[in-house]
Amino acid sequence: MKTLCTIAALAAAALAPLPARAALKVVTTVEGLASIAREVGGDRVDVTSLSRGIQDPHFVDANPTLAVKLRQADLLVDVGLDLEVGWLPPLVNQSRNPDIQPGGKRRLTAASAVSVLEVPQGPVDRSMGDLHPAGNPHFLSDPRRVEKVAAALAAKLAQLDPGAAQAYQARAADFQRRLETASARWLAELAPEKGRRVIPHHNSLTYFLDWCGLRSAGYLEPKPGIPPPPSHLADLVGVVKSEGVKAIFVENFYDQRSADILARHTGAKAVAIPGDVGGFKDDHGVLDPKDWFAYMDALVKLFSEATR
Amino acid sequence: MALPAGRGGASPGYPVLLAGAAEQAPSQAQGGGGAAAAPQGPSPQAADEKKKLEEEIAKELGAQPGEASAPAPSPGAPPSGPPPSAQGQPGDVAPPQGQVGGNPFARLLLLPDISAIGRGALAWNRLDVGTLSPRGDPFAPAHTVQAIFEELELGVQAVIDPYARADVFLSFTSDGAEIEEAYLTTLGLPAGLQVRAGKLFAPFGRQNQQHAHVWDFVDRPLALARLLGGDALKGPGLDVAWLAPTPWFAELHIAYQALTPAFEVRSRNAGVARLAQFFDVGEASTLGLGVSGALLQEQQSGASREIYGADVYLKIRPLSARSYAALQGEVLARRLTGAVGAADEPREESGTLWGGYVQAIWRDGPYFAYGARYERAPAVQGGPEHRVSAIAGWLPSEFQRIRLQISYDRLPGGQDGLEAILHFEFSIGAHGAHPF
Repeated sequence: MKTLCTIAALAAAALAPLPARAALKVVTTVEGLASIAREVGGDRVDVTSLSRGIQDPHFVDANPTLAVKLRQADLLVDVGLDLEVGWLPPLVNQSRNPDIQPGGKRRLTAASAVSVLEVPQGPVDRSMGDLHPAGNPHFLSDPRRVEKVAAALAAKLAQLDPGAAQAYQARAADFQRRLETASARWLAELAPEKGRRVIPHHNSLTYFLDWCGLRSAGYLEPKPGIPPPPSHLADLVGVVKSEGVKAIFVENFYDQRSADILARHTGAKAVAIPGDVGGFKDDHGVLDPKDWFAYMDALVKLFSEATR
Repeated sequence: MALPAGRGGASPGYPVLLAGAAEQAPSQAQGGGGAAAAPQGPSPQAADEKKKLEEEIAKELGAQPGEASAPAPSPGAPPSGPPPSAQGQPGDVAPPQGQVGGNPFARLLLLPDISAIGRGALAWNRLDVGTLSPRGDPFAPAHTVQAIFEELELGVQAVIDPYARADVFLSFTSDGAEIEEAYLTTLGLPAGLQVRAGKLFAPFGRQNQQHAHVWDFVDRPLALARLLGGDALKGPGLDVAWLAPTPWFAELHIAYQALTPAFEVRSRNAGVARLAQFFDVGEASTLGLGVSGALLQEQQSGASREIYGADVYLKIRPLSARSYAALQGEVLARRLTGAVGAADEPREESGTLWGGYVQAIWRDGPYFAYGARYERAPAVQGGPEHRVSAIAGWLPSEFQRIRLQISYDRLPGGQDGLEAILHFEFSIGAHGAHPF
């Protein structure tokens, strides 16, 4: 009776105590947040990300095995603004962890710490594509906003682990110093290209472009989440030529065909970029951003090379 | 998958007052911890003290002997949710002065997620399916192309309070309106428990618990329609689900419901048990295994009805792809002992019947899906019925599907026939994301 064996095994597993762990179990929805949590929490936290950097964060499967990770979570950090709305709510409900529900004391929604761009004004409906009604959630490639998220994380961790409040504040301050140094370097690297126009696939680079002073001349997607029809690509060919666009940027989990076609018709470069920390290996396996700084390094390098 | 609006504003309004009051406690405790900025490790002490104080307060409040029945939220963790908007750290985003005239969208924030899902079809059948191969799903009279309005499902979903949520699905069909499901789900029971109460699909097997717009094929497998319930095996009751503290996902359901089995008109009291497990197999695949059993109480002495089932689900999806392959199969067996069926119901013969299906789906990127299915089910008379189906679907967006399903049905005694269904489906509004 296989069933009985399974049930017996389950019962045994249920009775065996789980090993005690001192570190706070922090679960994040995306790897970028996981990296920031590691920076702020150091070895006082044990961080897991539900999705991987090579995944499109809009379309992660609500795999029940992820609910198991949430069950024991001391803190859930999500991006918010409905980025994870297609998969996180059922997992949170399955987890039996009441404190990680929206607004719970063990939940931190990163968006609550930053000022949000592209908040739709006026009516919203799905004829506008997969628009996020609460605003653009792709703010983790903007150092200014990441700094805010890190501060909010430090405050949250301090609240959950008051004994180490000072340690978290100190680590957040140190992260902020390194971030500011790096940010100055990145901005210097991109400075010559300031004001240049680029074409991203999705409106996922709004905050990054705003931070570094580049501008978007349009998007491959005619509306968020809607694939480009030939007529839109034909329009973009004109835009690329008239605005002197040198590069088209596509997160590597998207289909690259449209970018390649536009590049072929215009001479602009189609550049695959990482969507997040851990989100990329280029053709030579060179870029493999392990943490947030490496991810930003990769992004800045790809942008400055392609727009030069 | 959908984009519910305003889910974050789950409980604005008066619960905020509660939260504000309740928040004092933790923040005081914290202040204590911070003030005792002595080198390190004041937290265990603080926790001890807090626990003692908690017990004292519980006594003062006059805890009943059966104190365990205290409300659901985790002890010492009052619904400490600060107002959703100010969720970060206090000093950061809180606007210094209020908004003139308050929030004009306050009413809208309190609205539940509302969605409507419509399904319809054009069907053609060679056989007279209504009498030869009864089923609850779209079919046309023999040799006729017929347009069919299948169902409009209206979903209303929201959290009730910090302790539970409610999901209501009303089904409008050409037979009238009915409550398809309407249940409460607890959010914060201890020990890995979760209770659903209300009218619900029995936690039996995989597909029985899914609404039709989640199915990969247009119709319900014949075995489910004949052995479980013509529509779905569902009814009012209570489902207690325990999530085992295992490194993989293992959930044990025990339910007590009033269920109406296939071909019957009256409901029976029933006990249902299900063990569902999910395992990660490598980086790209997930394996789900389930076993279910149901015991339905029959009126006649000595009569009983048992149903058993096993189900398998395997989904293979490379991490960065939208494409995936999914294999799914279920077997079901129904055993009757004694003379079953009330006076006004058809008397069913005792014995065991079994059936099942196995299907494979290939999702080709976001916009196309293809599948094949083989089914075996007990025919109305004279042995097993076999059916094979193929389906091709176009999904212009996440919110509509247009599918063509062609089936070949073979009945005992050599009767056979083709079936074709062109199926349309749309979804509007904020419909909560589905479980895996």
